[in-house]
Amino acid sequence: MTALLKAWSLYARAVARWPALHAFVPFIPLVTLWAIVAEVEIFPRAFFPGPMEVVQAFASLVYKGILPDYLEDSVARLVVGAAAGMALGIPLGILIGVSPRVHALVWPILLFFQAIGDIAWLPLLIIWFGFGLATMTFVIVYTVLFPVVLNTVLGVRSVPIELHRAALSLGASRARILWEVVLPGALPNILTGLRNGLGYGWRALIAAEIIVGTSGIGFLMFDARRAGSVVEIVLGMIVLGLLWYAVDGLVLTPIERATGERWGMVTR
Amino acid sequence: MKNLTLRDLSKVYFNPDAGTHVTALSEVSLEVKQGEFVSILGPSGCGKTTILNLVAGFIPATSGEILVDGRAVTGPGRDRGVVFQSFALFPWKTVLDNVAFGPKMRGIDKTKRERIAREYLALAGLAHAADRYPHELSGGMQQRVGVVRALANEPDVLLMDEPFASVDAQTRMTLQEELTRIWQARRPTVLFITHDVNEAVFLANRVVVLSKGRVLADIDVAVPRPRTWDALNEDAAFKTLTSQALQLVRSA
Repeated sequence: MTALLKAWSLYARAVARWPALHAFVPFIPLVTLWAIVAEVEIFPRAFFPGPMEVVQAFASLVYKGILPDYLEDSVARLVVGAAAGMALGIPLGILIGVSPRVHALVWPILLFFQAIGDIAWLPLLIIWFGFGLATMTFVIVYTVLFPVVLNTVLGVRSVPIELHRAALSLGASRARILWEVVLPGALPNILTGLRNGLGYGWRALIAAEIIVGTSGIGFLMFDARRAGSVVEIVLGMIVLGLLWYAVDGLVLTPIERATGERWGMVTR
Repeated sequence: MKNLTLRDLSKVYFNPDAGTHVTALSEVSLEVKQGEFVSILGPSGCGKTTILNLVAGFIPATSGEILVDGRAVTGPGRDRGVVFQSFALFPWKTVLDNVAFGPKMRGIDKTKRERIAREYLALAGLAHAADRYPHELSGGMQQRVGVVRALANEPDVLLMDEPFASVDAQTRMTLQEELTRIWQARRPTVLFITHDVNEAVFLANRVVVLSKGRVLADIDVAVPRPRTWDALNEDAAFKTLTSQALQLVRSA
């Protein structure tokens, strides 16, 4: 027990010194377990490859240029889809949030379409747009849009009325209040919406690539299934997880630190 | 700074759940002269916050009128600065940007409005806190920012809604002394809402006691300035006025 506590305090101190540690140390036991299970060959090796085989597959696919190309395709689709989803979702959310009339008219429709999941659109989209970029873009934008809109509305409505009144009394026009009060006040919620939207969007994209794709990580995985290459499927899954980890650590968390947390509006 | 007139001001709220009308304010008339400090004193539910919300233009009056320097109030505006009980600072703006907000809305350029803001922050002893965010300050300091943010916009009338009700007792006394000092230095026209008898008398030239939406009494506070708690705790005139006001409030 004491030994465990000592090990933990050692780890805690090491993480305090090198914060990057806590990003991958938790994975060490997981990967070790995986390696052991693969090594003792509880399952046939072809169905359950070990970490080293995946690393080799990674090296080989990077060398051939397939993985970088597919990764670029997937990420580009996500970025374009997320940007479009935000460009539509944030203004729409603000409009619904500030106007009870728009809220009354749009909210029921929004709830209705939110229930029709992204994948449920695919049969129709394939008939309309075929197997291609338009279908995938639609799916991502659709998936990103709802969490962004719903959270933006929540954020706009959570701005205390005193802040509106303070701004009005200090001479702000309605338009200035939108920019100076409503938008920053709603920002922590908008970021939550973006975080959820990107997460759902990423999953929806992979699903769409599996069904309608001709490139991308989802396509890579499905193509590997056709070839019976379990190792490439596993590689694809790991890339998905790592990429989300990178988006969280390099994009979302820094933005949250610089805004809501810095302003004391969100407690960590 | 300009004068403020309330003429036969009434406010009736409709309670949609009960289907009844509630009279919050009933034909209140009041004159606040330029540079005068008037406290509105009364228990909860007497209509004092309603008065402030009406004068600030946050809610419409049922009847009667409000004039600031002869002009009728129709909505919120920069001629009436408001200090809120909840401080209502913008969490995403630094202290400096909070205080510079009013001048910014007036279109004053960045260099000039920051100079104005720093000048007012210095007035409240907050020069060192300019670059901090509100949540990094104590409640007392946040409300100092709230007061100078309203003053920096040079309103005709300063409206204060129980501004010191949510800070601790010691800080409250310090803030009250600072407010009298700032008032003497700048002479703004002030309408100060409070339920605290000592506070009402300590700060004001006149205390208006409100009860059930009507003016119960209008008391002149002939206590010399500068006022400090140490001096006034021993002052006979202050004691007489506070006990008189207390009796009125308790009978209200």
